[in-house]
Amino acid sequence: MELTKNITLGVYLPGETVIHRLDPRTKIIIASVLIILLLMIKSYPAYAVILTFLSAVIFMSGIPLSYALCGLKPMLPVLILMWVFQLFLYSNPDSKVIFSFWIFTATDSGMHMGNLISLRVIFLFTVTTILTLTTSMVSLTDGLESLLNPLRKFGLPIQELVMTMVIALRFVLILAEELDKIVKAQMARGVAFDRGNFIQKTKKLFPVFLPLFINAFKRAEELIVAMEARSYTGGKGRTKMKTLQMSRVDLGAGFVMLIFSAIVVLLIITIKPQI
Amino acid sequence: MNLSVRKIVISGILGAISILLGVTRLGFIPVPTPAGHATIMHIPVILGGVIEGPVVGLITGAIFGLFSFLQPGAPFFADPLVSILPRLFIGIVSYLVYYSTRKINLVLACILAGAFGSITNTVLVLGMATIRGYLPSEVSLSIGILHGVPELIVAALLTVILVRGIQRIRPVEENS
Repeated sequence: MELTKNITLGVYLPGETVIHRLDPRTKIIIASVLIILLLMIKSYPAYAVILTFLSAVIFMSGIPLSYALCGLKPMLPVLILMWVFQLFLYSNPDSKVIFSFWIFTATDSGMHMGNLISLRVIFLFTVTTILTLTTSMVSLTDGLESLLNPLRKFGLPIQELVMTMVIALRFVLILAEELDKIVKAQMARGVAFDRGNFIQKTKKLFPVFLPLFINAFKRAEELIVAMEARSYTGGKGRTKMKTLQMSRVDLGAGFVMLIFSAIVVLLIITIKPQI
Repeated sequence: MNLSVRKIVISGILGAISILLGVTRLGFIPVPTPAGHATIMHIPVILGGVIEGPVVGLITGAIFGLFSFLQPGAPFFADPLVSILPRLFIGIVSYLVYYSTRKINLVLACILAGAFGSITNTVLVLGMATIRGYLPSEVSLSIGILHGVPELIVAALLTVILVRGIQRIRPVEENS
């Protein structure tokens, strides 16, 4: 059992395209606006506009389409199941019946509901995938820090919170190695992790979890001493080795995004929702 | 508000464990239901609340939520209102339960904190998924029972064992 062989954390595809060169802050803002818009959309034409926009972005970023969508594959069964649940179980008073057998009745409002939530989930997923494929984790956290920096004025410890994220990302790989050792050590003692029913399998997790957490906390104590010995005091007066800089491309992207969101908002307001 | 180095580091490392349980799929208990797996990825969040207090519980929950938003295991986790928002409360609820019951009995307090932390996760996530229209209420209810109960039992047991284990290795002055 190889647990830690293929850990992928934010699969970043390096590239030199316009999308890659955008400032991480611009990308985070655009992605957030898209997510907010997607949460409000309730009609097909608006989704069509979003589809055009996302296709253009995928084309410009040079990500192979199969790559951008491969993360959806494992979710497909659950997605179809969700669609079927909506088809048969969702109904409102003025919906027409499409067909019915035994106790199940499929209505058109159920079908629209299923379509709309499936589209929403697929598009939300595509937005986060494009963001993580074209932006490395390091620049994502950098961008997040500089975007949230104004909140320091309200007393929120932004730099410290970003530090937590950085520690978490760094420690995933260290702890993965540790986990691998623990699992192998337990297997050498004769624990068969892949056998037994679900209660037996769950029981076998206990001798893995305890050493994992204890070791993690020991490492935490060491890191605390190390950071305190170097007088870590958080964000006050800290400067950066690499500072982020907006360019003309970011200005253009912001402009395009502004027009695009205006169109979508107009569509959301004017078109009657399907459900 | 000021975050001590201890709070920063412990939140970071608990967040790392939560992410690790997700990427290695070790945090999933194979329960045979249509929705897939029961999860124990929220146990680091419960521990953060019980051992270090509400702030660490909140931050660890945010990391857990952010991760399940960026690498969703089920379709509806692509919606940040389902994946991030409910997770912020797990650590806070565990902390409140632990601190209001620890005078009675420490073991009982850990069991209750684990159980209520787990219930918070199940109820708020499925509730939000229902409100946002991803799941009909009948389906949420059955998933809640089928997944929620094993999650609750495992979470309660693991919380007791882990809290007792970790408190043994922590520096003495922190236990007071």
